[in-house]
Amino acid sequence: MVLLVTALMAEAVPLIEYFKLKKDMGIHAYAVYRNSDIALIVSGVGKIRSAAALAYLCALYHVTEKDILMNIGFCGSGSRKHPLGTLLLINKITDMDTGKDYYPDVFCGRDFPKESLRCYSRAVREDDVSQGTDIFCDMESSGFIETAKKFVYAHNIVILKIISDYLEPHYLNQELLKNYIREHVPMVESIINELKHLNDSTCEFSFTEEEKKAFNDICRNLHFSSSMENMLLKEMKIAKLKGMEPLNILRPFMEIKACSKAEGKKLFEEIKQRSKLENV
Amino acid sequence: MFNTIYIEEKAYEYHITRQLLHKYVDSEVVTIRHYKDVFNRPKQNLAVQKRYPSLILAVKDGQFLYEGPVVCQSFDHPNFYYTSFLLNCVFDCEYCFLQGMYPSANIVAFVNVEDFKEAMKDLLHSRKKVFLAVSYDTDLIAFHNIIPYLQYFYDFFASHPDMLAEVRTKSANQAFYNDYQPLKNLIIAFTLAPDEIIKKYERHTPSLKSRINAVKAATARGFSVRICFDPVFADPEMEDAYKEFYHHVFTQIDPGSILDVGYGFFRMPVDFFKRIEKVRSSSLLYAKEYFVKGNVVSYPEPVMERIKTEHLEILEKYIKKEKIFTL
Ligand code: SF4
Repeated sequence: MVLLVTALMAEAVPLIEYFKLKKDMGIHAYAVYRNSDIALIVSGVGKIRSAAALAYLCALYHVTEKDILMNIGFCGSGSRKHPLGTLLLINKITDMDTGKDYYPDVFCGRDFPKESLRCYSRAVREDDVSQGTDIFCDMESSGFIETAKKFVYAHNIVILKIISDYLEPHYLNQELLKNYIREHVPMVESIINELKHLNDSTCEFSFTEEEKKAFNDICRNLHFSSSMENMLLKEMKIAKLKGMEPLNILRPFMEIKACSKAEGKKLFEEIKQRSKLENV
Repeated sequence: MFNTIYIEEKAYEYHITRQLLHKYVDSEVVTIRHYKDVFNRPKQNLAVQKRYPSLILAVKDGQFLYEGPVVCQSFDHPNFYYTSFLLNCVFDCEYCFLQGMYPSANIVAFVNVEDFKEAMKDLLHSRKKVFLAVSYDTDLIAFHNIIPYLQYFYDFFASHPDMLAEVRTKSANQAFYNDYQPLKNLIIAFTLAPDEIIKKYERHTPSLKSRINAVKAATARGFSVRICFDPVFADPEMEDAYKEFYHHVFTQIDPGSILDVGYGFFRMPVDFFKRIEKVRSSSLLYAKEYFVKGNVVSYPEPVMERIKTEHLEILEKYIKKEKIFTL
């Protein structure tokens, strides 16, 4: 699943339109929009709001390490190194209140410029920083990543910032901002696809639902202890990694119900024997 | 080419950093405060990082030299130490203990070589003679074209004959043997394995043939060469492969040109093993049953004894018994 966090509704609208997201009317604490694969939350401005909104989404959708968490928004730039409207992929975030640094692993978006970002608690203006320095500032990223790093792999945390101004936030034009996002949504989609591809290419072991169910049924029906469960799981894993069918080990025992732990133990030995034969 | 080069603020002033910045002008560079801020982050995916490794340039502080661990061979040297100029490796061996030791697959390179030399001098001062493994947490020779650490330490080793240094490698890179004169106190320890094992477990490493060629190049130039058959796997499917392999190795390499041989089975501290079992969830190697003795995961003693006896019988046809060190 892909979870998107934007601070403002203006940042969210082009994404909602492009990905055809529908408002989840069952959620009242936040504005949450979703389709089968993507959910977007509008957090409000500031790092605490971003952290809270992301935590809410992660808990709501039972996020796993392979899900993708993305913060999309605007940043101010202290220099004119990049033109306004440039999409930046962020590879370092410094929280300017705590001095703490955060590093997402950036493996996607090879062609996009990568920059470090400073996260402030209030809007930064030109006079606040030394003139012409290559600094990029926002107000959400450190809160976002502080939460994100608890849930997903470091490479599944993506912070995308579009340069909205050269530290003159009072001149911002809402329509122009929406257009900046609108222009970049296809790039956002390509980054998501790249990451999905990367995640799918790492082969992590798992059992199918059918295998899990068979295992759970047998352990329950035959009163296996937790150490017997672990041993059985290991035998099934070896069978599967050897390219065999782990259910073959279990099949003859699937309809049996043991009357006592002792009988279960006997059946366990039989399963082990069968597994040894299958796994040679 | 590295995905990103992270550089500690204080590492910028060192020669190695300047060289690398010059060499990798197109790399993304991120300045960091301490290498552990990047290296020790939670939830790094080692498999993905192995595919797109980043380099972290850091200034080592604290302890520079460590006592040799019990799972490693001392080759009968009483003062056995190891040091790490690099953490992690360009190769990707499935059995590598580093995956259980570090939370990251990114490579840390320490740039303050002079501080390492000072620590080595201090150790020599107190211990008089030292056996120092310098390529345990990495493969220095495979990394030689990126950072030529052996070049930086060559003069130091040349002027400190009481420090016997061992460089363990699977690399086929012959540049160092061609460019430098052998030193009596510098051992190049080549890890060799049957091609079946290399294909199965030693991803990105050179073939047996290329490694044998590197051994020949090193011995021809007069380097002191150790051959390591380590780790050996007690796998019934591999038994014949090992026997043929030993004969093959010593028909290709003149046994008389070899200093000695190291021999050891696949083994690993329990906590590393458990961590890797999770990280490499699809690995059959870590799914199998092993025997735990003390704090070390390996094969049952009788299995190891049987295989070792068979293997040593062959090895002793080529190498004198007292030159074969087993663990
Ligand atoms: S060569 Fe050595 S250090 Fe490198 S991955 Fe293989 S076992 Fe690990």
